[in-house]
Amino acid sequence: MTVLQRVRRDSFYYIIFAPAFLVIVFLTIYPVLSVLINSLFDYNFLSADKELIGFENFVKIIGEAIFQRAFLNTVIFSLVATTAEATLGLILALLFYGRFAGKRATMTAVIFPMMLSTMVICAIWKTMYHHDIGVLNYLIGVLGMEPVGWLTNKRVALFSVMIVDIWQWTPFAFIIIQAGLNSVPPELFEAAGIDGAGYFRTLVHVTIPVLFSQILMVFLLRTIDTFRVFDKVYALTQGGPGNATETVSYFVYREGFSFFNIGRASAASVYVLLVISIIAGAYIRRILKQEV
Amino acid sequence: MSNSTMHRKGPLFWILLVVVVLVVLAPIYWIVSTSVKTPTENILPTPTLFPHKFTLSNYENVIRAGIFTNFFNSLFVAAVSTTISLSISFLAAYALCRHKFPFRLNNIFLIWVLAVKILPPIVLAIPLYTLFTRAGLLNSLWGLVIVYQVYTLPYCLWIIFGFVKALPIEFEQAATIDGAGHLKILTSIVLPLTSGGIIATSIFSIIIAWNEFLFALLFIRTPSRLTLPLKIVSFIGEYETLWGELMAIGLLATLPILLFSGYVYKRLTHGFALGLR
Repeated sequence: MTVLQRVRRDSFYYIIFAPAFLVIVFLTIYPVLSVLINSLFDYNFLSADKELIGFENFVKIIGEAIFQRAFLNTVIFSLVATTAEATLGLILALLFYGRFAGKRATMTAVIFPMMLSTMVICAIWKTMYHHDIGVLNYLIGVLGMEPVGWLTNKRVALFSVMIVDIWQWTPFAFIIIQAGLNSVPPELFEAAGIDGAGYFRTLVHVTIPVLFSQILMVFLLRTIDTFRVFDKVYALTQGGPGNATETVSYFVYREGFSFFNIGRASAASVYVLLVISIIAGAYIRRILKQEV
Repeated sequence: MSNSTMHRKGPLFWILLVVVVLVVLAPIYWIVSTSVKTPTENILPTPTLFPHKFTLSNYENVIRAGIFTNFFNSLFVAAVSTTISLSISFLAAYALCRHKFPFRLNNIFLIWVLAVKILPPIVLAIPLYTLFTRAGLLNSLWGLVIVYQVYTLPYCLWIIFGFVKALPIEFEQAATIDGAGHLKILTSIVLPLTSGGIIATSIFSIIIAWNEFLFALLFIRTPSRLTLPLKIVSFIGEYETLWGELMAIGLLATLPILLFSGYVYKRLTHGFALGLR
């Protein structure tokens, strides 16, 4: 191959790679760098004064009750929702294991929530959660219980938002774990049965260990997604009542787009980045092991 | 999980199955029945299981109020951003598979793209908002198309990369010997061989863009440019108890995704069957 041919071939690869590369640089690398830099400034979009203050934003924010609340809410939301989704997904996968009449139809039905848009789901649940004329309060009234302020009671609201997430994404956990379960040779379970292990012993010592990588994947993907929860909070509670359902994404949104406080919003974003990078490390290692 | 419990389903199994299906389907039944009830029936203190009076007036109202504008906005944004993502990720995936860029750029780029998938979008929101304001792309559907590359591009790139990587290089080598140029190889060999994967990828990319909320909320102000998720949220806020109309919008917003994924799924399985022959 002559030098000219090689240059022509190389430039071809550079040209076809360039669009994706540029898009990624402008839409992701530039913003991340910009957030890192702005977090060190006292910078308000309205006044446009920019003053370097070092780590002051970080120190201030972490001492504030609202940010602590938002952070705690996010961690609780992420942990509870993810654990519930993985557990229910596993239970569903076990329930749907093997053959039975109506399997296809029921599976399609169970996967359905995942196909709906988050906002449509929020609309449904918002009406069902309505305090006075919602169907949920009507049903528990029939059972003789007092009406619950699903989205207005400080102690309940965060869990109500979680229930929506669990309803929406358990099907996802189910699909992934189910695929894993179906790829396990049935002889493995039969062998455990012959050895006299009961259902729960087999579950703990055989089934869950062989499904480890699928369950881990569900945990990673759902943690990543629940940690950024914003849409549901915006549509259902706007962070309220008080700041009972405020999450870190919502905190950044309010600081940035209601108070135009770029410096503080950026510092909060950096905290999010720090937490996410821990999860990301595990996730990326996992993916690279499988694909590259 | 002994053999007997796996193959003979007891009554407990059927009870559990019914409970699961009920929990999943009840809200979906609720959206459908609410959308065909009259406004007064929807705010009765005792909710009704079946509509007393079946009506399509909710659908009429939302269509007359111009829901199709929002519909086409969403369609435009989803279709264009997916087309762009698929094209540039196909090209980049091919380059990353067949060429070793300097400074280990191949690996660094792929890992960074993976990291972007994990990044909470709110982190990017403020800098992108400033950037798009300066570029005059705020409050425009084209602006949304560009910013949605943050979601759709990493997704498409990784999946298409997997498909391209699985291709045997021999076809291309043979074509080179026959004197085919790079572009010719790309369009008449690589593209047809990966088209099944590209179509599959398009489903998810379209769904992501169709449902995206955060950037739409931040970037779009003019009512006539609202996408469907924004329309639904503004509806929840403004008319708290016009549930029939809200549910009608929700169903109309869901329909194309269901139809589209069903259609593509069929084509896809058909395509796989052809490929096996």
